[in-house]
Amino acid sequence: MPVTKVLMEGIGEVDMRGIDAYRERGGYKQWERVVRELAPVDVLNLAEKSGLRGRGGAGFPTGRKWSFLPKDRAPRYLVCNCDEAEPGTFKDHMLLEDVPHLVLEGMLIGAYAIASHHAFIYIRGEFKRGYEIFCAALDQARAAGFVGKNLFGSGFDIDITVHRGAGAYICGEETAMLNSLEGKRGEPRLKPPFPAVEGLYQKPTIVNNVETLAYLVPILERGAEWFAAVGTERSKGYKIVSVSGHVQRPGNYEIPLGTTVREIIDLAGGLRSGRSLMAVQPGGGSSACIFEEHLDLPYDYESMVKAGSMLGSGAFVVFDDTTDFVKAAYNLVRFFAHESCGQCTPCREGGSWMERVLDRLVHRRGVPGDYEMLLRVSGAITGLNLCPLGDSIEPFLKSVMLRFPEAFKSRIAELQQCHPELVTPSGVEGRGAA
Amino acid sequence: MSEREKNFPALRERLRSECERIIAQYEQKRSALLPLMHLFQAHEGFVSPQAMQAAAEMLDITPAEVEGTVSFYTLLYPRPVGKYMLQVCRGLACSINGAEDVMASFRERLGIGHMQTTDDGLFSYEEVECLAACDRATCMQVNLEFAYDVTPQKIDGMLDAMRAGSYAVAPMAQTESPERTWAIPQDAQVAGGKKSQGARGVPRPDNAGGVGDPSGVIMLDNIVSRDVKFFTGTNERAIVDSRAVVETVEEEGARAGH
Repeated sequence: MPVTKVLMEGIGEVDMRGIDAYRERGGYKQWERVVRELAPVDVLNLAEKSGLRGRGGAGFPTGRKWSFLPKDRAPRYLVCNCDEAEPGTFKDHMLLEDVPHLVLEGMLIGAYAIASHHAFIYIRGEFKRGYEIFCAALDQARAAGFVGKNLFGSGFDIDITVHRGAGAYICGEETAMLNSLEGKRGEPRLKPPFPAVEGLYQKPTIVNNVETLAYLVPILERGAEWFAAVGTERSKGYKIVSVSGHVQRPGNYEIPLGTTVREIIDLAGGLRSGRSLMAVQPGGGSSACIFEEHLDLPYDYESMVKAGSMLGSGAFVVFDDTTDFVKAAYNLVRFFAHESCGQCTPCREGGSWMERVLDRLVHRRGVPGDYEMLLRVSGAITGLNLCPLGDSIEPFLKSVMLRFPEAFKSRIAELQQCHPELVTPSGVEGRGAA
Repeated sequence: MSEREKNFPALRERLRSECERIIAQYEQKRSALLPLMHLFQAHEGFVSPQAMQAAAEMLDITPAEVEGTVSFYTLLYPRPVGKYMLQVCRGLACSINGAEDVMASFRERLGIGHMQTTDDGLFSYEEVECLAACDRATCMQVNLEFAYDVTPQKIDGMLDAMRAGSYAVAPMAQTESPERTWAIPQDAQVAGGKKSQGARGVPRPDNAGGVGDPSGVIMLDNIVSRDVKFFTGTNERAIVDSRAVVETVEEEGARAGH
């Protein structure tokens, strides 16, 4: 199948970090046109018409998100979410380092659309190189008159602040990000109020993902109809998919939404020779696995939900028959336990306990009842937390436990073997005769 | 007073204008906390008590608020670390593509484990969560600069270059000798407001856990079923969920006339 290149046009071929190289390819033309010719509402309408949905994970329609801002309140802020840390996702990392001006132009257009005069980009602490590249790009754009006061003589002012995180996955959650941006612990807030009403400094705020904002530039350039013409009924346009795991050519691939799961695996060179597919995690560490029977499904928001998973951030991890799914499940549960901010008991304690139960399964020291307990506890954590982190523990675990129950059950040691001192004639001390 | 502490007032003075520039970027001063801590850490190698005190003064917040915030973030080191911070990705995509071998090699070559520093103070080692470079597994960072496609075979060359001072990434500032770990001990973490360690129990080398584990680790199912047994005197359910415990306890309470 043909390789699509929209945001990824030129990446890997041309160095586009300098402003001259970016402008040679038409860079900042859309920004200038927006400021000179369009009203904020025109940009909002374009975004709505294009069908663009959030590319960070939730898939919320971008134009509609913007429309939630109260009409009469100022100041309002735009925050570009570049805290990319969902396991398996590496697209924003690439965009930030390879096309910083495209990210910046998208941010400027997004800020204009919501009539914001101060936009922030929250860059993951680990992306030190990306941070430096983006800061250099911002300096160039300031010097060239694309960021600052009275742009193009229009009277429109915009300032951009680059903010670096310091190591916390949870800060990718939008309200945790706002707390972090306010110099606080990155703990999610109770919603409502949503950021559009009370966000940064209690002011109306929109948080958009890097990729979402970057797509505004080609949408402005080629029109909302062009974007809406590809994709499926409710999943329009293009998406960068980060393919990793057991494929021959892992990497970022830009696809029209609706490309099939099989085609995406083929784009990445297919499986290694002699290997067979066991599972695909199609939407990052928080998503459930899909399997062989789902290979011909279109990769779009609705189909992934229908298959019991989600499209998420577009992190697409492929597992072949060499995978130990108990270890894989342990790995992800440990991740969520480690990254829990600790505010909500189900997520904080539940994740931590499940990590340890899985740990003993990995070491073949599981005890009878572990399989059932894991399923029950993971289900009990879901839906009881301030943010989606706690709810993210269950999907992958449950999907592989139900698909490969023997992999888990075979790790349960005979009790006699692992704890002989506990086996009494009447049963097991403290556990009852299970 | 250590050499570093003696030098701190001069450092603070030297960074004054940079701090002011950072603070001026935000509508509310406190927003500058993370950037200020990054700045001081770049000069001192870790976030020192003096740096936190200085930030509190500059931002008009209490030192407790500064420390409470700083302790949330893993890239702000609360105690001195090695000149080369080696952070290997243990994320899922890396771990199914060789990260375990890379981590084992680092541990063996350096003779230290997760979140530890070598005795010569040169290397600190940490196994970190997904670094967003899954297409180049195994990936890692050296002083926050990426190294891609790392294999056990490449490790000796990397470490030798760092020892010789010829590695492509510059060493971090080191103003105090590091100890074995930069992690704050568990009890101090709890007192400092770090997320609950209550469920973590006592770690053992083989991470066994399990019912009645002699390491002292108490398992969730054990607690719950013991509670039922305690209140009801029965031994009928192996594992019950918390709701059942509450119901049973309430029933028992009603029966006893409470």
